[in-house]
Amino acid sequence: MTVSTDASVVGVRDLVKRYGDEAAVDDLSFSLAAGTVTGFLGPNGAGKTTTLRLLLGLAEPSAGEALVFGRHYRELDRPSCLVGAVLESDDFHPGRSGRDHLRVLAAATSIPEGRVDEVLDLVGLTSAARRAVKTYSLGMRQRLGLAGALLGDPDLLVLDEPANGLDPAGVQWLRSVLRSFADGGGTVLVSSHLLAEVAQSVDRVLIISQGRLVADAALDELAGPNQSLEDVYLELTAETVS
Amino acid sequence: MREALRSEFVKQHTTKTTVSLLGAMLGLVLVSVLLHGFGFSARDLAIRSNQLRVFVEAGEGLGATFAGLLGAMSVTTEVRNGTIRPTFLSIPQRGRVIAAKATTSMLTGLAFGLVATGIAALIGTIVLSGRGIPVQLDGSGYALLLAGGASAAALWAVIGVGIGAIVRNQVIAIVAIFVWIEIVENLLVDSAPAISRYMPATLGQAITGDRIGALHTPALGAALLALYATVAIAAGWRTTTRRDFA
Repeated sequence: MTVSTDASVVGVRDLVKRYGDEAAVDDLSFSLAAGTVTGFLGPNGAGKTTTLRLLLGLAEPSAGEALVFGRHYRELDRPSCLVGAVLESDDFHPGRSGRDHLRVLAAATSIPEGRVDEVLDLVGLTSAARRAVKTYSLGMRQRLGLAGALLGDPDLLVLDEPANGLDPAGVQWLRSVLRSFADGGGTVLVSSHLLAEVAQSVDRVLIISQGRLVADAALDELAGPNQSLEDVYLELTAETVS
Repeated sequence: MREALRSEFVKQHTTKTTVSLLGAMLGLVLVSVLLHGFGFSARDLAIRSNQLRVFVEAGEGLGATFAGLLGAMSVTTEVRNGTIRPTFLSIPQRGRVIAAKATTSMLTGLAFGLVATGIAALIGTIVLSGRGIPVQLDGSGYALLLAGGASAAALWAVIGVGIGAIVRNQVIAIVAIFVWIEIVENLLVDSAPAISRYMPATLGQAITGDRIGALHTPALGAALLALYATVAIAAGWRTTTRRDFA
């Protein structure tokens, strides 16, 4: 087992993922410190999702490494107790109830069933818990996904476009969940293609374009005196489009 | 590994897939045994090997087919619905997940085979008796039929998990298993018996004591089918641990 001496929660070094001749992730390096909320931004197709999959052991990098808590994800035993992740908004069996979906995940990590009801309550799905997921709205599915990520009471949350499909009240709710998670010492990496969606809830942004990191800064460092955050974001992500 | 097994067990019992497969299998077993039991002449059905054929075709044949589908779908349903991602996020040691799927599918497949063969033998015996045809199978013949039907289906469930893990596409996996068992091997039995007796569906029949097209003893049939299951699950394990999951 490779144990890195790096104390960062997430450590990505010289990460490359190629599909044929195309590099979806191109020499990416960044790290996350504990207790921070980091926005992972970039236009669609910039390589955000690929990076998260490499970090979570679902895909193998072509070069470099992506570590969580100093280790490769696939070397973690019961990773749900360290890392909670949602990659797609619809990773459910349509005929299974929301509660049973969580019971499947709980059984995989020996999490007691009482915790299933706790997280259902936390995301506001208690009354719909015994209904089949196919009857859920997109917003309810996002909440169920988040419930699954929170199940193991992790220290790191990795969320890929969690605000997709949420109404304004849902986005506000999501922000408050992320904020309170970080206030409790947790670390959050949340991706989005919309800066406005995360600007109010993140401490720091990583911006990638065409697989390369184009900005790594605290939110207030990013905008200049005559530029809005949105302008900077668009400029950074447009620059590398040839 | 115990956690992976428990998770697979909860998966199997929280959708209608298992019950639907069981229902479809029982319906087909009933149709098959009634068609054969009433379709053949009394003279043909008086022969022991023909009686056994009716029980085996309906019982072991459909039991193994549906156990294979059950095994394959334990993987392909997860790929299709995307639940394979939360599964591998919870248990990133993918070999453990495949081993758990093989184990739970094998146990449920065993039950499928036992039920299918038991119902086929029961209804078949009632039909034969009803037509006044003396039943030629003795106690040990029935015992071998049931044990063989259950073992063949258990091993086919493991083969199914392997095929599902390699193919990953639900429709292709289901069609491949059906076409192989019901068409390809059926054709081989007639056109190339020397080859077909080494093929997995025919080996399944051999375990039940049915010797048509299968020149093996039940024990050798079981050993060879177990070899197929081992190769299939090893190949499924290898592809699953090496591939990227998008």
